[in-house]
Amino acid sequence: MGYSWDFQTVWEYRQVFVRGAIITTQLTFWATIIGTGLGLLLGLMRRSENAALRYPAAVYIESFRATPILVQLVWIYYSMPILTGLQLGNITSCAIGLGLHCSAYIAEIFRAGVNSIDKGQWDAARAIGMGYSQMLRRIILPQAIRRMIPPFINEFATLIKLTTLGSVLAVNELLHEAENLINNTYRPLEIYTAVAVAFAIMIYPFIYASQRLERHWKVRS
Amino acid sequence: MSDAVLKIRNLQKSFGEHRVLKGIDLDISKGEVLVIIGPSGSGKSTLLRCLNFLEEYDHGEVLFHGQLVGYRKASHNRIIRDSAKAIASVRKRMGMVFQSFNLFPHMTVLENVVEGPVHVRRISRSDAERDARALLDRVGLGSKINEFPSKLSGGQQQRAGIARALAMNPEVMLFDEPTSALDPELVGEVLDVMKSLAADGMTMIVVTHEMGFARDVADRVVVMDDGSIVEIGSPADIFSNPAQARTAEFLRRVLH
Repeated sequence: MGYSWDFQTVWEYRQVFVRGAIITTQLTFWATIIGTGLGLLLGLMRRSENAALRYPAAVYIESFRATPILVQLVWIYYSMPILTGLQLGNITSCAIGLGLHCSAYIAEIFRAGVNSIDKGQWDAARAIGMGYSQMLRRIILPQAIRRMIPPFINEFATLIKLTTLGSVLAVNELLHEAENLINNTYRPLEIYTAVAVAFAIMIYPFIYASQRLERHWKVRS
Repeated sequence: MSDAVLKIRNLQKSFGEHRVLKGIDLDISKGEVLVIIGPSGSGKSTLLRCLNFLEEYDHGEVLFHGQLVGYRKASHNRIIRDSAKAIASVRKRMGMVFQSFNLFPHMTVLENVVEGPVHVRRISRSDAERDARALLDRVGLGSKINEFPSKLSGGQQQRAGIARALAMNPEVMLFDEPTSALDPELVGEVLDVMKSLAADGMTMIVVTHEMGFARDVADRVVVMDDGSIVEIGSPADIFSNPAQARTAEFLRRVLH
């Protein structure tokens, strides 16, 4: 009750938040690139008639979905160098770990999206002589992606928030920077509140854009 | 029959235990309109889909201008699945029209029609659009070229589907129950387009329940039942003087 809020301190250290947000954005960017590329590949592999493609994809997807991301990150940063001699930097490890993790979810989004397209669309594309990749690119994905946007944005918002796990690898993302700041200023309530607001500011535009896009497509077709 | 466009020899196909095609033999000549009728589940649509290999057949042969469709002979006379490229190159020479239209919903009518010519035949977009406009005029959709399919009636969608297939300059057109999904009052406009194609000498294979179309337009009528051909004849023979009891029975049921 008697707590007096002091956001002045937060404002004085705003540069720290900006610095953290830049790292958070970088992590999100690279993890999205890795996650989307690999996710598309895995999603298509999992739909393949060829068992040699289908099974490895299924094992990958289910393993990553069934284990904690924290363990995955620790594994990549601490265990991989021991096993393979390959030591990646903490930011790189974190970006790759997050990318691998969300590729499993994005694979499922792709698979569900592609499966939701009517079989007649494949028939029609085949009947005019299209090859597999052409059908996918010109006919199936343009339709499927519209249905994938809402779950994809959902996954993307989750990913942005998951970057806070970078603090475990001492990555100076937003949360880690904020925690350092708390140690100096003893203002945890204000600083955590500011962190929450910073995340909301980063995430909300995507949610808004996704809703606008859905409405736009509903009108067009 | 040197001018046979398609030859079907002992074609067999099963879905699991169920034998859908039990050995079909049939030739289609250039310019012929062949109408396939028969009860639901008799294998008509499966037969049609085997011709452009949308459905893989298990035994027998489909020969398009003498060339095996979907398979090729490898060493030691083994028959193996043909390359995707070879299969696609056969498909682009056959047009197909579907019961459920299957227009691409994210494209306008014009884009639907130019898709194949531009991206498969690889002709220039301006030529493709010029041809597409002419085709769409021909099927009575000249004023709808910039509409999306969802804005069209079923009959209009199917006419767009026919234009899309024709845009590939096919040597044969396959119609898979083209009017079965339409409201009765829209059937006529689609059949009229098909009649005008037939009059122009297009080679057509039509699976349909429209007995009037079969009687008026077909050169030959094929009656199928339970995966086999029951009888083949001129419309006059089939409808007025069927040789087989099963044909008579089927016609009695559908014509009343």
